[in-house]
Amino acid sequence: MHLKHVSDNGFPALKMKITANNHLIRVAWVAALVATTATSPAASPSSAGTAKRPNIVIILGDDLGFADMGCFGGEIKTPNLDSLAQAGVRCTQFYTHASCSPTRSMLLTGVDTHLNGLGNMDEWTAPNQWGVDGYEGYLNNRVATLPQLLKDAGYHTYMAGKWHMGKATNQIPAARGFERDFSLLDGAGSYWDMWNFTAASPKSTFTEDGRYLKKLPRHYYATKTYTDKIIGYIEANRRYGKPFFAYVSHQAPHDPYHLPRDWRYRHVGEYDKGWDLVRKERLKRQIELGIMPAGTQLSERMWFVPDASLLAPASRAILGKKMELYAGMVENMDFHVGRLIAYLKKIGEYDNTIFIVFGDNGAEGTDLFKMIAGTPGTRDFLFASIQWSQNNPNAWGDPHSYVGYGPAWAQVSMTPFSQYKGWLAEGGIRNALIVSGPIVKRPKGSINRGVMHVADIVPTLLEVAGASYPSTVNGQAAPPLRGKSWVRLLAGEEESPRSGQDYLAWEIFGNRAVRQGDWKLRWQYKPYGTEQWEVFNLADDVAERRDLASAQPDKVKALLALWDDYVRANKVILPSRVLSEGMVKKLPDRYPVEEGFPPLIYKRQFIPPTNMLADPKP
Amino acid sequence: MSLIKRTTHPMNNEINPQCSGDPPPSAARSGRLAGAIITLTIICPMVALGQIPPRFYWKSLSDANAVPVIFQSLSGNANPMDPAYVVSPGSSVDANILTVGYAKMLPLFDRTLTLAVLEPVGRISSSTTFAGRTSPQDANGFGDPMVEVGMNLVGPKAMKTIPDLLRYEPKLSLDVIVDVAFPIGSYDGSQPLNLGQNRWYGRLGAPIVWQIGPWVPGRRTTLEALPSVWFFSENSDYVGHTLSTDPMFQLEAHLTHDFTERFWASLDATWIAGGKSTIGGVSGESLNNFGVGFTLGYQITDNLSLTAGYMATVNDSAPTDLRMDGFRISLTYGWHTIVEGQKRLKSEE
Repeated sequence: MHLKHVSDNGFPALKMKITANNHLIRVAWVAALVATTATSPAASPSSAGTAKRPNIVIILGDDLGFADMGCFGGEIKTPNLDSLAQAGVRCTQFYTHASCSPTRSMLLTGVDTHLNGLGNMDEWTAPNQWGVDGYEGYLNNRVATLPQLLKDAGYHTYMAGKWHMGKATNQIPAARGFERDFSLLDGAGSYWDMWNFTAASPKSTFTEDGRYLKKLPRHYYATKTYTDKIIGYIEANRRYGKPFFAYVSHQAPHDPYHLPRDWRYRHVGEYDKGWDLVRKERLKRQIELGIMPAGTQLSERMWFVPDASLLAPASRAILGKKMELYAGMVENMDFHVGRLIAYLKKIGEYDNTIFIVFGDNGAEGTDLFKMIAGTPGTRDFLFASIQWSQNNPNAWGDPHSYVGYGPAWAQVSMTPFSQYKGWLAEGGIRNALIVSGPIVKRPKGSINRGVMHVADIVPTLLEVAGASYPSTVNGQAAPPLRGKSWVRLLAGEEESPRSGQDYLAWEIFGNRAVRQGDWKLRWQYKPYGTEQWEVFNLADDVAERRDLASAQPDKVKALLALWDDYVRANKVILPSRVLSEGMVKKLPDRYPVEEGFPPLIYKRQFIPPTNMLADPKP
Repeated sequence: MSLIKRTTHPMNNEINPQCSGDPPPSAARSGRLAGAIITLTIICPMVALGQIPPRFYWKSLSDANAVPVIFQSLSGNANPMDPAYVVSPGSSVDANILTVGYAKMLPLFDRTLTLAVLEPVGRISSSTTFAGRTSPQDANGFGDPMVEVGMNLVGPKAMKTIPDLLRYEPKLSLDVIVDVAFPIGSYDGSQPLNLGQNRWYGRLGAPIVWQIGPWVPGRRTTLEALPSVWFFSENSDYVGHTLSTDPMFQLEAHLTHDFTERFWASLDATWIAGGKSTIGGVSGESLNNFGVGFTLGYQITDNLSLTAGYMATVNDSAPTDLRMDGFRISLTYGWHTIVEGQKRLKSEE
């Protein structure tokens, strides 16, 4: 890939290959670059006289929910992730996209999805998007990638885990800037082996260091193996003294909930109480922790999700067991994050390592397995009956089992927000973010409420590394970076990387949203949306319960203008076919969910006064 | 009237009842699962050859009920209805026995209490050598009813709810059992071969179930053992003599394994030692016999299970050795009030 660099302030930038032998030149270059570009000490983390720029570790949880980690109010035990939060800062208004590959594309390019090739998920590209630039379904060759830029800037670049942005030889991690990689190219798959979900594509595709794997290593378990690989890569090149960028793109806790047996029994019975109570408990802790302000309301329970208190104990036990497994998935991932942390401490690199931790989208409330294999008589049903039919609850977690926890628990994971992955309510796009490491100067364990976006990570890390964004990529003008650097925010010099005039916007599966300041404009297909523009004030309605479109027509108009600006700037093409088509007829009619209604099924047995009791007269 | 409105979510079929207490499909699955477990875990109790069937000491939901019906066809040189196995060298005994029972599990101090009662009926025919005289003989009617009381000491607590049942895994379970046979079966003191034994007998035992590997239907494996000691009172009306039997040690063992969710098999073995009988002051020999066999099991419906098996003694070449072999087929019907109620409601949909 041919990149031409300019510095952030427009000065022509030096571009040089950095090796161990010219490390001093590199430091001098960084210092020079900082001297020409920095306007504050915070913008020059590498100019503080340190001999080595910070290492960077991105921990990405796949479908990890906003409220899952302990430090964000979850009852799930995540001591290692919590330790990063305690050493760094938690950000409560961090946005991703509503589904995985679009988020990942922005994470690694900083460019809007409609320009970087993931304008739609590859799996759902609509006919009117086929063959259109920006909708390739993989990272196109018009964008520069973060690992490539960091590698050019003298970083080792490593990846382990899920890629999901292309499988061809010019699309895989090794071709997009990763020096070492062990990657699942698919969007999901077994954690134990190479089995995938469809008859048409029954095997997952893995690469290691740019070669397609014929088989997996012995004793493979995704979360463990990814961690082993990352540690191995760091260890192998440690002697060269260069900083590293490690992208740990965990498959966990994406379904299927494959989990070593020892990790399945840490919450037995704990979720039998049902999703409504767990959501309330999480919100209470979030308020106590300061994650959510006092007075925050829970979003409405999805209208087709039953009140858990009305379910029989057996139903709650079976459904609760799914959440037990999910919690185990998160805890297992946390354990392996702990292994990486411990390793970095052991080799003395922890204090010089930036950790960025988040989930790639809202928690998964959709039953992917049912979508693929839910129709008897189909090819995929037959395939699933052979490869994915270990559905006894005691087999959940084993190879060939498939369990996901469904919309009720997904809403728990996204407490207090509405909806979940795939949709543009806050539950689909807002995620928990932890940043720790030497660039964080805010009080340890503090909480920030700045409006942040996954596309901010590229400009942030380029600034940290002293690298620059290229002016051209492969001979064409590089698309603009969409994000804003967090360096000043993390240094405690500002509360948000965005002003009140900056806006964020999203489009996926034909659903649309814009956020500016506290206001959010949203259009979603029925039945999750109204197919009308809705407006919410997130300052006091983070649960998006009150549509203010009628009361605030001027606000609708202003936000619509931003939406139009976004569409023009990013060449948004609304899809002609969408994921949600037909859903209205298949879901129950939508009515408001109001606690205690209908009284018919809530009213308790009437107990008359004891002194009024009598036997029947003869 | 149904409050239930069920629809299908294109993306998620797990939870879609609109607002009523209608259990989600996975909950309905739990009901079916519970039904299957109930019938799987209360199966035919005690049968001849002193052999407790494999998987008998798996636990089930408290208040679950089972009715086993067991048919056995046995041949050997001792009365198979008498657990003392008084060997009559040179005799040949054939028996066709039907045993009907009832078993129930109850919680007691948070542990599982199992109560079972069995009543054998059938026909026995033999050419028996007794006191040097060979004579053909037939007997039919009712055998001695036997009651078993079992109490779990180690292992999962009593399953009082379906969630408990769904989470049941025996891991390592240890029970104590007391069996008592009541001497009220058909008995004719003038002949040695009877269905009733005209004496009290029973045993103390300690069944052990050791789960090997995952507890997933279709993949379950267990190693089971039942060491026990039988005790016998005297029969003072045994062909004009008094029959007494020393205590007898028995060790039964099973290695069981699922082949599918509904089909399983077991390798069975039993060893008996001691139990020397004395008839009219003349002592026989202590038993020291070993039998092996197998059992096949199949879950026909959620309520009904079938087993078939065969067992034979192996070290039986000497005239005084116990020699016996037999086929066994059992059908067990199990039920639980809650599970049956769920089925009735489901049938209305």
